[in-house]
Amino acid sequence: MATLDSARLKAALQRVAEGAAAAAAELNAADGQLGDGDLGITVSKGFAAAAEADLPSDLGMAFLECSKAFQRVSSSSYGTLVATGFMAAAKSAKGSESLDASAIPALVAAARDAMMARGKGELGAKSVLDSLDACVRAIEGADSAEMGTKAVAAARQTLQDFKGKPCKLGRARMFTEKSAELDDPGQLAFLRIVEAAVPAAK
Amino acid sequence: MKKILNNPADYVEEMLEGFVAAHPEFYAQPERRVIARPEGATSGKVGIVSGGGSGHLPVFAGYVGPGFLDACAVGDVFASPSAEQMASAIRHADGGAGVLRLYGNYGGDVMNFDMAGEMVDMENDIRTTTVLLADDIVSAGKDEAEKRRGVAGMIYAFKIAGACADTKADLDEVTRVAQKAADACRSIGMALTPCIVPQAGKANFELGENEMEMGMGIHGEPGIWRDALRPADQIVDEMIDRILADHPFSKGDRLSVLVNSLGATPLEELYIMYRKVKQRFDDIGAEIVMPLVGRYATSMEMTGATITTIALDEELERYLKAPAACAYWRVG
Repeated sequence: MATLDSARLKAALQRVAEGAAAAAAELNAADGQLGDGDLGITVSKGFAAAAEADLPSDLGMAFLECSKAFQRVSSSSYGTLVATGFMAAAKSAKGSESLDASAIPALVAAARDAMMARGKGELGAKSVLDSLDACVRAIEGADSAEMGTKAVAAARQTLQDFKGKPCKLGRARMFTEKSAELDDPGQLAFLRIVEAAVPAAK
Repeated sequence: MKKILNNPADYVEEMLEGFVAAHPEFYAQPERRVIARPEGATSGKVGIVSGGGSGHLPVFAGYVGPGFLDACAVGDVFASPSAEQMASAIRHADGGAGVLRLYGNYGGDVMNFDMAGEMVDMENDIRTTTVLLADDIVSAGKDEAEKRRGVAGMIYAFKIAGACADTKADLDEVTRVAQKAADACRSIGMALTPCIVPQAGKANFELGENEMEMGMGIHGEPGIWRDALRPADQIVDEMIDRILADHPFSKGDRLSVLVNSLGATPLEELYIMYRKVKQRFDDIGAEIVMPLVGRYATSMEMTGATITTIALDEELERYLKAPAACAYWRVG
């Protein structure tokens, strides 16, 4: 993919919605070990709504529609964080109808920074922020043809890197030992999202 | 659960329907879960919005009215409204001079109101600012005062910010005055019984027949201690001592005091409390201006009370005394 436009965004969202629906039970179960077990519902409902939204041709406004659609059906903390990520991308992309693939790392970095600020989270605490950060570092300066596979590999590696480490953020931080054994549900959700967005890399 | 309701799932919708029908001179519901002025936003005036979960009436929606708020987003009982509902409230409050978001410091509300601010900035070019109420002295130490949750002090901030906005002051000025009012408030609560969220159907915690809890939050967040119920004067003494330790008052100072029912405590008992509050400030030589005793910020049917003080200077006192009206509080 050399460029990103509203039509390509919509197609990616549709793939992610399908992938999120397929992973919903797995994510609910992962979340249920540490929290209230609704992460799969949050992610699948959110991406389904975003995939159905009418996306204007201005990419910024298209990301804004994604943010609103996601937030409308998934106002839990993870849902609000994803919506925040879309909003940050919206601000970065406002006024452009298409973006060169080389601009994508900056969009993801903007999402990471906004989500850190909104959730008052830090890197290294075993959360989705670590996955995003690894993803940004993996795709920065990469050839556009390789970005997808690099992003998936980074998301997968993040889960590996945090095996045995406790969560220090959100509700999961209250279960130090248990959270160390388990994958962070937010990181796992991120992996499933990226895998679905980049079908060739699966 | 023993409540007057139809279907628990319809609790908020039916409440709002009755609320607007009973007071059409103050409230309209232009969109689902958004309460605004029936006449719409005032052109050229800074709009003030608030929002938060249901279950606290008159907070938040009850304070929409001249000299108070312009619009309010209403969530489920004890749950944040969505960012879209908040964005919608901001649009209904916008008279072209920007909008102040004035609400309590709760995680979900903060995340969603920040999102809402970004939405209206992107879509409608509405400039917004935020002032958070963090008046509950029990919820964090003085060194982390910005982490405190917001409780009854917010009604003073609504009143004062509303009066400032009515002078057609600009957004920065209204924000400054609202922040000053918020910073001047200190609150502490105590409870005798819990409350029941309709969709949960049972009490959110338990308190023994002869027990009380000091410092409990308005959603049942744990307080500082739980022990046998004490006489009113002793309870008030401790509450005032804790407030004074956080914000001292001296001879000649002026303040307002709110003695507020959390829902089920009758006015009679609030006056027993106020009697002692007045004695304490008389002893200091500080003058209480416009005291408020009643049900201003509640927690469903929780039995208990909060005491809020607001330290006044000439500016805050002038705005506090300016005319304002809503269904629950009229000034001038």
